[in-house]
Amino acid sequence: MSIMEYNGGSVIAMVGKDCVAIASDLRLGNQALGVSSNFQKIFPVTDRIYLGLPGLATDVTTLRELFRYRVNMYTVKEERDIEPETFAHLVSSTLYERRFGPFFIEPVIAGMSKTPAGGLKPFIAATDLIGCLNFAKDFVVAGTASSKLFGVAEGLWEPDLEPEDLFETISQTMLNAVDRDAYSGWGVMVHVITKDKVISRTLKGRMD
Amino acid sequence: MSRRYDSRTTIFSPEGRLYQIEYAMEAISHAGTVLGVLAKDGVVLAAEKKVTGKLLDLSGAKEGGYGGSGEKIYLLNSNVIGGVAGLTADANSLINYARSAAQQHLLQYNEDIHVELLAQRLCDLKQGYTQYGGLRPFGVSILYAGYDSHYKFQLYHSDPSGNYSGWKATCIGANNGTAQSLLKQEYKDDIDVKTAISLVLKTMSKTMDSTTLGSEKLEFAVLTVDPETKQPKAKIYRPDEIDKLLESEGLAKKDDDAMKTS
Amino acid sequence: METSFAITGKGYIIVAADTTAARSIVKMKTDEDKIKTLSPHLLMAYSGEPGDTIQFAEYIERNIRLYQIRNNYPLRPPAAASWIRRSLAESLRSRKPYAVNLLLGGYDTTTYTPHLYWVDYLGTMTEVPFGAHGYGSYFALSLLDRYHDPEASLEEGIVTLKRCIDEVAKRLVVTPGKYKVKVVDKDGIREIEL
Repeated sequence: MSIMEYNGGSVIAMVGKDCVAIASDLRLGNQALGVSSNFQKIFPVTDRIYLGLPGLATDVTTLRELFRYRVNMYTVKEERDIEPETFAHLVSSTLYERRFGPFFIEPVIAGMSKTPAGGLKPFIAATDLIGCLNFAKDFVVAGTASSKLFGVAEGLWEPDLEPEDLFETISQTMLNAVDRDAYSGWGVMVHVITKDKVISRTLKGRMD
Repeated sequence: MSRRYDSRTTIFSPEGRLYQIEYAMEAISHAGTVLGVLAKDGVVLAAEKKVTGKLLDLSGAKEGGYGGSGEKIYLLNSNVIGGVAGLTADANSLINYARSAAQQHLLQYNEDIHVELLAQRLCDLKQGYTQYGGLRPFGVSILYAGYDSHYKFQLYHSDPSGNYSGWKATCIGANNGTAQSLLKQEYKDDIDVKTAISLVLKTMSKTMDSTTLGSEKLEFAVLTVDPETKQPKAKIYRPDEIDKLLESEGLAKKDDDAMKTS
Repeated sequence: METSFAITGKGYIIVAADTTAARSIVKMKTDEDKIKTLSPHLLMAYSGEPGDTIQFAEYIERNIRLYQIRNNYPLRPPAAASWIRRSLAESLRSRKPYAVNLLLGGYDTTTYTPHLYWVDYLGTMTEVPFGAHGYGSYFALSLLDRYHDPEASLEEGIVTLKRCIDEVAKRLVVTPGKYKVKVVDKDGIREIEL
């Protein structure tokens, strides 16, 4: 049994038209035993960046606290919010610091980044557990249901989805993928980040 | 005589005094005034800026940052605002220290630092320079306006010796005696933020050298609790917001003042 | 086989732990108290590797006490839990990690709410309506899924707890024997007899 599957859990992020979405399941388990059905794996970093942390649950909490610390220090020193690209590199270098004794987490980043023209454009990225960045144009997946998520997302996702359609797409992708994964499930949390607001919803799904 | 006992911070004079500390406090009593008032539903801070002039580039203060113009009032943590009086360079170093101490507390306890604990952290540092040799103490007094779950709204003052104390209303910097006696007369228990804002501005206008108040001479901040999220909300006013506030309080400067920055 | 349970109710938390101290197949002691009082409104049930458990629990107990002496008030349950979790998470990547599992039950006197945290030796922490450690958890958790009520009175909570204890006594190969049960609510901590 791999340490990456010890607690279970999955995260996915998708790009839409002038919006991005990120979703996770809410299960925390001890191998096959379910412990909590309200374990958040997605955390707000700024008003328009969300970070998903699937993997070993102790490292979910540790990294969540560590990234909050580093982003807060960045914000007070720079006196401005961090940009998604910059944050992605912060994630990458933080994980690579532990190259030979890693955090067992594969982070997913979703946010809206500033364009030189002053607008906002969607940004998603994921890294492996030692911080190798993967910038994607469509969607990124991670966690115990990643192989299933790839399959469903490949079938459902299409370019330029409006926020409500993107919400529907990512929700159906997540709900159907985690139903085929014993270690993920027990509810789903979805965030859709648009130019001016974030829509957060909790989905019930199959609670078994 | 004085040469012998004030050349090092760590040496007591025969009367049992630490001259360097007293000199540091003397330096602060010439610095720009910082004034704080505690209300039942918030804390108010105001500060007089000394570095002014029409050639000073304040474009950074108009947008970006947390508000304020970066001379006297700073956000120390999401629940604490600090107002500094004294050497600005020393203050910057202390602000850095305070911000990282607050973040380290958040990392360790997953909870915003308590206001008194943050004041204690800085005082531990300041006290060190009154005892260990070779270095000069920090020439800075700080007012801390903050909120935490235990004592709700609080106002603290710390001085270069590392002493700190809690206040309902207090003042540091130039003319602090005048301001304090004014506050003593005017302050009432259980005042609300709105009254506290008026009190602060009225006291400021009476203590400051210039006859009229304006954003180029004043920094202003209020800490309240957001009624929706129940989280502390620190608001450091931007220059245009200060002018608007002064106008609504009837303290705005007249047009005859030549100090136009825009 | 070590077992501990904790359940929340309306304004209180019940924490129960068995009282057996075993070495190999032998019961060395049957009146061991495995629930520490960390502060006036915070309980910690601990289980795991003998030696590590007591060493770690006392380390936590004294540091929480030190914080209270230094700052005049104790850490609130969420802050205490986060700090304890961090201690375990840091220990996990040290040369000799502590193998200790915890249930932290506390009453927050600033917000008037009870909090229960499930913490394992890896530093995994989650706030739960009910939690359990040890072999008993396999029976108790599914039972509590059915019977737990977050709005239950203390009497009802105790009845639910007894169901868990009886189920474990009936189905687990090695019955834990007696339990120590403690309650924390707005009035503080007290031990109750079943």
